[in-house]
Amino acid sequence: MTSVRPKLKPEAPKAITAWDTQTGQTVWMTPDGSWSVKSGDLGIFVGDVAEAKLSEARGQESKVTDPYFMEVTEDGAICGRETLRENIRSNGPTVAYGKAGQALSSTLGK
Amino acid sequence: MYRYDEFDAALVNERVSQFRGQVARRIEGSLPEDEFKPLRLQNGVYLQMHAYMLRVAIPYGQLGSAQLRRLAEISEKYDRGYGHFTTRQNIQFNWVELKDIPDVLQDLADVEMHAIQTSGNCIRNVTSDHFAGATADELMDPRPWCEIIRQWSTFHPEFAFLPRKFKIAVTAAAHDRAAIRVHDIGLHMKQQDGTTGFEVHVGGGQGRTPVIAAKVNDFVPESEILDYLEAVMRVYNRFGRRDNKYKARIKILVSETGAEEFSRLVDAEYAAQSAHEKIDLPGDEIERITAYFKGPKLPTRPLESTAFNDARVADPDFDEWAAVNLHPHKQAGYTSVTVSLKPIGGLAGDATTDQMMVIADLAEAFGHDDIRVSHAQNIVLPHIAIDDLHAIYQQLQRAGLATANESLITDMIVCPGLDYCNLANARSIPVGQDIQKVFADPAYQRDIGKLHINISGCINACGHHHVGHIGILGVDRKGQEFYQISLGGRADEKAAIGEIAGKALSQEEIPAAIKQIIETYRSHRTSKDERFIDTLERIGHAPFKEAIYAAD
Repeated sequence: MTSVRPKLKPEAPKAITAWDTQTGQTVWMTPDGSWSVKSGDLGIFVGDVAEAKLSEARGQESKVTDPYFMEVTEDGAICGRETLRENIRSNGPTVAYGKAGQALSSTLGK
Repeated sequence: MYRYDEFDAALVNERVSQFRGQVARRIEGSLPEDEFKPLRLQNGVYLQMHAYMLRVAIPYGQLGSAQLRRLAEISEKYDRGYGHFTTRQNIQFNWVELKDIPDVLQDLADVEMHAIQTSGNCIRNVTSDHFAGATADELMDPRPWCEIIRQWSTFHPEFAFLPRKFKIAVTAAAHDRAAIRVHDIGLHMKQQDGTTGFEVHVGGGQGRTPVIAAKVNDFVPESEILDYLEAVMRVYNRFGRRDNKYKARIKILVSETGAEEFSRLVDAEYAAQSAHEKIDLPGDEIERITAYFKGPKLPTRPLESTAFNDARVADPDFDEWAAVNLHPHKQAGYTSVTVSLKPIGGLAGDATTDQMMVIADLAEAFGHDDIRVSHAQNIVLPHIAIDDLHAIYQQLQRAGLATANESLITDMIVCPGLDYCNLANARSIPVGQDIQKVFADPAYQRDIGKLHINISGCINACGHHHVGHIGILGVDRKGQEFYQISLGGRADEKAAIGEIAGKALSQEEIPAAIKQIIETYRSHRTSKDERFIDTLERIGHAPFKEAIYAAD
């Protein structure tokens, strides 16, 4: 189960994001329809083209899982109601984890 | 602890082999995600915010050193050098790649572990008291029955596709540390006229509809418990709703049917079971399972330890830790140690590869190879000689594992929240860290005393916010994170659902609001011995609400 995703208007600029099927990494569709693990490489799609690209993504089962539209500005910046979620997907957890998290907490504790 | 027989080993190995084939078909494209998803979930594999997450079962929270070492090795080889211990007494790896998961499962199977029953609409990992078999306050050891129920439920053909997931918890202590009243079935072991049995609670749960379980039977003898559980499950399987996943848990069925009628339905189902359906577990089989849990033969030791007392005088930090993180053992000269996974500013429940290795080594050297995971996301070494405590403490301290806060305000249950979880609406971890920083002073924490703050990043309540003395729930307000405070929840034998204090606050406002709550408690308590929850129940919620919202 994933969280409920907001419906975007056809004319709204969108990116397409998903997970790499083999690794689980978050990926974004680039302007040429390939996939990148960097959100900075995302393509911006609108209207029927966007729908066609999403349909194309859904057809790439072995490559990507659960593709969906993500709201972006005309410049490709993440925006809208899911900004925080998508920024975390793009940049990783907002807290230090693993050894880095342990090192940070050791400076705060006794 | 329980050891696999040839049937267990074959079953787990066959499952790994089966899943290896499913993963291969998924990756080469012949198995679409819609069909693969239920298969991966049955093997503990979720797809989270950043990656696949593998949830590994730790039945009733018990591990041996070799198993913890294997988990540490997996965290290093296949993940990012850490694991996350959960409120279900399991462990989660947050960054595993799908292609590697069959190998991970094989590595687990080699040390008698698996990821079965950690997801999907089945009977999940049975949970229990993390001090089971060691604590001075239990009637008997509940783990043999946890294992019997585990064996009964694993791949039970009738209960593989329940309306929704199903959680069973068992305790045998008067003080409930297993939160049995917020489980689908909670079993409290009792003795009646020399017979061992169970008080049965059904229909508890958290999530969007929090409910305290109803007691449906005062005493079911152990010889009949599996048949009785089977009757409960059949009533649920037959009448539980499948049309709406938010109304599919047994708590909804019990609430809508009424506890009395539900109990009657169970009794009728139980009575209708024919002789050939009865499980009729032989006494020698119960004894065979019980023998695995006899526990270590602990040499006799004096009640007092000079070495321990001297170390407490010489090392104030050790004294602080010993005052907080020890639990009375049933045998003189021993204690149960809580290894806190809640360092100030850390990530609740997380342990690095090295930390897991240190705990495994300590358990082997000093702890009779027995390790527990608590539902409060800490680790417990249940059988430690008091003489050995200072040596253990020093090693824990070097590993960043000696935080003295067990059951204190900074020992919070915190779900992964929006930093990791696809379901979350808001982050939990930074909120917990911000609160910890306000209360970091050990003396202040001890002055406040026992208090449970539980934080969830969404209404699914993995952080048990409904039963926190202070609960914090992350909510989404038009794309912004806000946090709702509730007061008065508790997960013990007096289980209660917390009441929402008022409007949700921003993340920045939460630490100050918690501070106001605590200072209100300190100003109203009759003495330092009156715990927060007792003061709250004595004076009511009004003064606390006023304190939280005084600035409005």
